[in-house]
Amino acid sequence: MRDEWYPVGLFSQLDRNGRNTVLMGEPITVALDAEGAATVTSGSGRALPVRVRYGHVWSSLGNPRKELFAIPEADQPGRRFVDVGVVRVRCSPLRAVENFLDIAHFPFVHTDILGAEPHTEVEEYKVEIRKDEDEVWATQVKFYQPQAAKSANGGITTEYMYRVPAPTCSVLYKTCPPRPGEWDVITLFVQPLAEDLCDVWPWMALFDDATPMADLIHFQQTIFLQDRSILENQIPRLLPLDPGMEIPTRADLTSVAYRRWLKRHNYTYGAQLVAQ
Amino acid sequence: MPARIPAGPIALWRSQAGHAVASADRCPHRGMRLSHGFVRGEALSCIYHGWSYGKTGNCLRIPAHPSLTPPETIRVATHDVEESDGIIWIALGQPAARPPRFEGLVPLRSLTVNANVAAVEAAAGAKADPEGLVSPSQHPQEIRLLLAPQDDQTLIHVLLDDKSSPSRRIAASRTAESLRRMAEDLQAKVQAS
Repeated sequence: MRDEWYPVGLFSQLDRNGRNTVLMGEPITVALDAEGAATVTSGSGRALPVRVRYGHVWSSLGNPRKELFAIPEADQPGRRFVDVGVVRVRCSPLRAVENFLDIAHFPFVHTDILGAEPHTEVEEYKVEIRKDEDEVWATQVKFYQPQAAKSANGGITTEYMYRVPAPTCSVLYKTCPPRPGEWDVITLFVQPLAEDLCDVWPWMALFDDATPMADLIHFQQTIFLQDRSILENQIPRLLPLDPGMEIPTRADLTSVAYRRWLKRHNYTYGAQLVAQ
Repeated sequence: MPARIPAGPIALWRSQAGHAVASADRCPHRGMRLSHGFVRGEALSCIYHGWSYGKTGNCLRIPAHPSLTPPETIRVATHDVEESDGIIWIALGQPAARPPRFEGLVPLRSLTVNANVAAVEAAAGAKADPEGLVSPSQHPQEIRLLLAPQDDQTLIHVLLDDKSSPSRRIAASRTAESLRRMAEDLQAKVQAS
């Protein structure tokens, strides 16, 4: 996993003084150079690879063999790009991604926003590991939501598609209330600080000209703080890849595929391989 | 509410009909602590996905699949619970006898002390009797302490005479708090030396 790209900060918040942070246990500094370009330096002074995409600065402790994954919607005219900021969570980075892929918790954790009883049923959806892109995809995911987005008026059945293009990143495509036929894009970029500690950077690319930026940020932060109360109370803190440790159902097929994909690639930073 | 026994953390809950139940504090679905959950009727539900468990630990309902009857294999461990004169007792395995009774005493409150049993006994100036009850040497008439060791902490249940007036109860509560501070200071000194 050292050769993967990880988010290490918001580009809009960088300055010459730089920001000290941590990537997989190693201290790093993210800063702007004299030309205004982002730089990332390891604790030993080594210049690390850098990309600036989707509002964030990306880096890697190793040598990425693949380019940072594409999000074509990031170049689509008419979208608003929302830097949501950061939420620090005492959990495995992989648990944070798995929770993002889960819809069955909406009525209980995001009550009256992303879900509400008695609308708890998860209908069948499709999951695959796409060979060409080497990504996990879940499609035709449908769920009843009382307040699907800041721009939604009342309850609607929302359709979702999920993508996992990197071990600690997920991209969600979601019904766009003001513009049927288009998808809102909500991402979860997770910076692994340690195997059991992460900074979560949500980012959005929406069709919504009406809602003030502060409200969009507030909406997403509210959702994620609700998730944090779960993520910090799961046992064990690492994501168990041993199938005996937890019990999935049909509603968890995305998580099953994600865990399988992690295992296949040996993406085990933040995972627990053998039950303890 | 969360509680601890030597077998591990537990979720202690009371059903609507009034039964106290001790379930393992981990939902087997995604590892969420069940002590964060909610009680409806005779079941404890996990706050993460609403999976609900009955008093004997079997899974009753998986809300994501409302028409599915959960298989018997999905369950949480439970422990026998006995309520006796206002104190809740949890058994490890099959208990040979009923929990002890304390004639003429009523429970006042419980508090957790960051000290082991030896430090609590030293602060109280008295040893626990075989039933775990301590009569502090300075306050023999005022309070009794029932000690339950929990790793490096001790859970103290404060008992007092069942005819105590409200002002005696308040005084007893303060006495227990000062004993807690003494025990924690003693423990800190032991660790520093």
